[in-house]
Amino acid sequence: MSRIIVVTSGKGGVGKTTCTANLGMALAQRGHKVAVVDADFGLRNLDLLLGLENRIVYTAVEVLAGECRLEQALVRDKRQPNLVLLPAAQNRTKDSVSPDQMRKLVNALTKVFSYILVDSPAGIEMGFLNAIAPAKEALVVTTPEISAVRDADRIVGLLEANGIRNAHLIINRIKPAMVAQDKMMSVKDVQEILAIPLIGVIPDDEKVIVSTNRGEPLVLAADANQRGLAGQALQNIVRRLEGETVPFLDLTPPADDFLARLRRLFRPTE
Amino acid sequence: MNSDFSFPAFSPSAPDEQPPNDDSLAPTADASSSERQDAERQDPERQDAERRDVPQVRLKGESGRLLLLLPPELDTPSAPNTWAEVCQQLNQRLMSGERFWQPHTPVHLIARDRLLDGRQLQTIADTLAAAQLTLKRIYTSRRQTAVAAAMAGFSVEQQSPLAQFNAPEEGKALVEPLYVQSTVRSGTEIRHPGTVIVLGDVNPGGSIVAEGDVLVWGALRGVAQAGSSGNGRCLIMALRLEPTQIRIADFVARAPEAPEQYQPEVAYVSSGGIRIIRAADFARDRTT
Repeated sequence: MSRIIVVTSGKGGVGKTTCTANLGMALAQRGHKVAVVDADFGLRNLDLLLGLENRIVYTAVEVLAGECRLEQALVRDKRQPNLVLLPAAQNRTKDSVSPDQMRKLVNALTKVFSYILVDSPAGIEMGFLNAIAPAKEALVVTTPEISAVRDADRIVGLLEANGIRNAHLIINRIKPAMVAQDKMMSVKDVQEILAIPLIGVIPDDEKVIVSTNRGEPLVLAADANQRGLAGQALQNIVRRLEGETVPFLDLTPPADDFLARLRRLFRPTE
Repeated sequence: MNSDFSFPAFSPSAPDEQPPNDDSLAPTADASSSERQDAERQDPERQDAERRDVPQVRLKGESGRLLLLLPPELDTPSAPNTWAEVCQQLNQRLMSGERFWQPHTPVHLIARDRLLDGRQLQTIADTLAAAQLTLKRIYTSRRQTAVAAAMAGFSVEQQSPLAQFNAPEEGKALVEPLYVQSTVRSGTEIRHPGTVIVLGDVNPGGSIVAEGDVLVWGALRGVAQAGSSGNGRCLIMALRLEPTQIRIADFVARAPEAPEQYQPEVAYVSSGGIRIIRAADFARDRTT
């Protein structure tokens, strides 16, 4: 039985697409056949993050219009053959697809793939309803900001009202140093409001921006140092998705002693 | 009525805004946190009747079966009763009260003047089935709905035997309390012509509007309104009262400053303002 998981957040720019790309890639690395579906019609990004933009020939809209077969629209990743992307159309709007059509598309994918990750657009309108229509589970991404948490709360309510009760929380872009100084909401603060099980905490990391711009998901990096804590956190999420119990990363900031300051002085990029 | 329409905060830093009998009202240890008051009388005409008469989806137990009452179709722009919203409310109500009925309890749908097509009826039946309830009968005052229901194979009664649900009643008593066992999240509004009991939190952005009391067995962080039809004797109580705003009858109060430690508290109307008192003290005041 394949798992259909929607990655959603309500607020834009909190890291839905980055999470989808990395989780999809990490699942594929573990040997699963994975399809990532971009449900952000009109503002597609998932192809960029995966570095597959220049290989798109057909999109989901053409499949639905019967202009091509589903297999023709799927873009296979050149680095990880277990991963395919079903791209969204860039020249259409969210209203060009209906929840029923999304359900049909994704159900067709379940015959081949064991994981289907749907990247939801921001907002709670048609695009969101399309993205959640086929899903059985949800990953709600939020950052430790009051606006993102408020929107995530609304999303959890809407997921429940649409029959998706299996929702897990990803807290993205946390800055342990700021939390320690009480300048940022802590994981506990966010959990207190949202009250859904936590599946991962991803620290803020510049490596994510670099990997995003290169179109190479962070989890692809060969050595652990390049992946950083963020890449490690993403891989842990995948392991927890598969039912493993993985302890949460220790994100307490290193003590700010003289040596650490000196070291930072000589490594300004870190 | 107070002519000043600013919203002063509850805080000891504005002592001139507190009534003189402040001390006698709430004998509490920590006056800055447990007894906080300030309120504002609003225009009573704001309590417009048409808003009151827009109920939400309701499930009501009656002699062994459940009645599912749908809100009537209205043209009021504020009325939250498009089909998608009705579906969401139905889901929410089914989820938040599922302990209170046995599986396979028959449900009678009271559609009133709502126009429902066969697909919508099927959606309702499927939603109920997912909660292990069976749609048995449909009561409607619309011919088209009756035809659609008959075509879809449900038993229909076109003359509503429950006409009293449509008729506006004079001086009616409150309906039975609504028990909500779930978190009321941002964007969810629960309206009920009676007392609302929430077993869970009311998050910021969520709101409860009750004609009776509002009881929150959890943290009240959103907006709560008690006595929405003008009954100033209604109460708002929560284990953790840190609301965005509370309203009782036509009084409005902003959240007080956060105390060091939260205790169960009760908000009530007294001498022209909303006051908040620790639950233990409230009970003592009322009984002695």
